[in-house]
Amino acid sequence: MTTALVSAARKAPQAGVDLMRIVRINEEIKSVVNVAFKINIMALNAIFLAKRAGTAARGFGVLSNELRVFSQDLRDCMSSLTGLVHACVDDVSRMLQDIRHTRLLRQAVAMSSKPEVAAVLAAREVENERHAQSLSGQRRQLKRALEEAFRMVELGGVLAKSAKIEAAYGQSFAVPLSQVSSEFDGVVEEIRVSLESLRHSAFFATK
Amino acid sequence: MKTTRTIFQDGDHKWIAIVRDPEKPNHLIDTNEYLITHGGQGMLLDPGGAEVFPAVFSALSAEFDPSALAAVFASHQDPDTCSSLALWLEFNPAMRCHVSWLWRGFIPHFGGNADTFVSIPDEGADISLSGLTLRAVPAHYLHSSGNFHIYDKTARMLFSGDVGAALLPPGEDGLFVEHFDKHIRHAEGFHRRWMGSNEAKRRWCERVAQLDIDMLCPQHGAIYQGEDVQRFINWFDELQVGIVNG
Repeated sequence: MTTALVSAARKAPQAGVDLMRIVRINEEIKSVVNVAFKINIMALNAIFLAKRAGTAARGFGVLSNELRVFSQDLRDCMSSLTGLVHACVDDVSRMLQDIRHTRLLRQAVAMSSKPEVAAVLAAREVENERHAQSLSGQRRQLKRALEEAFRMVELGGVLAKSAKIEAAYGQSFAVPLSQVSSEFDGVVEEIRVSLESLRHSAFFATK
Repeated sequence: MKTTRTIFQDGDHKWIAIVRDPEKPNHLIDTNEYLITHGGQGMLLDPGGAEVFPAVFSALSAEFDPSALAAVFASHQDPDTCSSLALWLEFNPAMRCHVSWLWRGFIPHFGGNADTFVSIPDEGADISLSGLTLRAVPAHYLHSSGNFHIYDKTARMLFSGDVGAALLPPGEDGLFVEHFDKHIRHAEGFHRRWMGSNEAKRRWCERVAQLDIDMLCPQHGAIYQGEDVQRFINWFDELQVGIVNG
């Protein structure tokens, strides 16, 4: 087998694995988007609860507003991540097609004596390289977006923990406020764990 | 690699059969491709599936400049007829694909863009290849619901797609039918199952019986020539099709 054929043979399973990995990332992001939607509802409830609690829950009310803003930012962020994941799926799928076409063209070149056939293969390989670079760029962009999302969620975690502290000052509303803030904390932690695993996905280990 | 056989020639007007690849994996059905050349241009009939592209391409390029392929003709939409389309277009992006209007939205899944496809209306059409007129003859429901064959009046050749096809066992895979009665046994099951309409079959038989045909060239199996052409048409006319056991 020639070096080029060996290289193509290696690329094919890699692209297949990449496709599986990006599909897993997409599924994880879909679950985070659902949770982010839940936070928005929770934040609204918390704002109403803080209003009922009055001055005793003023600090909690401020944090609830911040958490609501956070949930909206998180949804925007997830929407942008979803767009990037779809772009990656497109690129990986195109590369899988490229690999098949290139394999078949290489076989045609090997079996043909026409010199112009090699030129068509060379053009195909230039196009393959362009697609590979596109995927590489998408991969980097997705990684950066995930890092930003992770930082945002860490900030959300800080807000949730501060809300738990503020809940303690809620006097007769301390128990329901504490319950709400604990739920916040739990959900934000759930998202943080998801994003943490996505950041370390083997999809980003490939150049 | 496939082999090529020139089955008709008059100057630069040729029919070249691209057939029989001994290295073809057994899980792929064997296909015949036919190249018509005229005036320096070529049209490939049912260019084949993507997996057989290297074998077809290399055989074709030994006879003809692949970048001079002006068109391909897809008798219908099956993957063994034209899933290699995207690869052929790499060699000539301006190449056209003639296909039933019915499949114009489907075959682009194999490749090409909006400019690639030329729709053939149900009643058929003339296709010009550098001044040579080829007739797309309706063969709907044989087996596909939008199906055409190609008749070259000058060469008296008919490309008949899946009609006339036979699944030949090893050792009986000559290019031409030699013993009609023996050969037709390998075609019977195929035609009973793949051809869906007795009415469509009757119309096709009546239509092609009026044509002067020296060779009837199917996409699978062996080529009928001489008296075997009419023998086949008669046999097909009598056959009850659209039948499945079970």
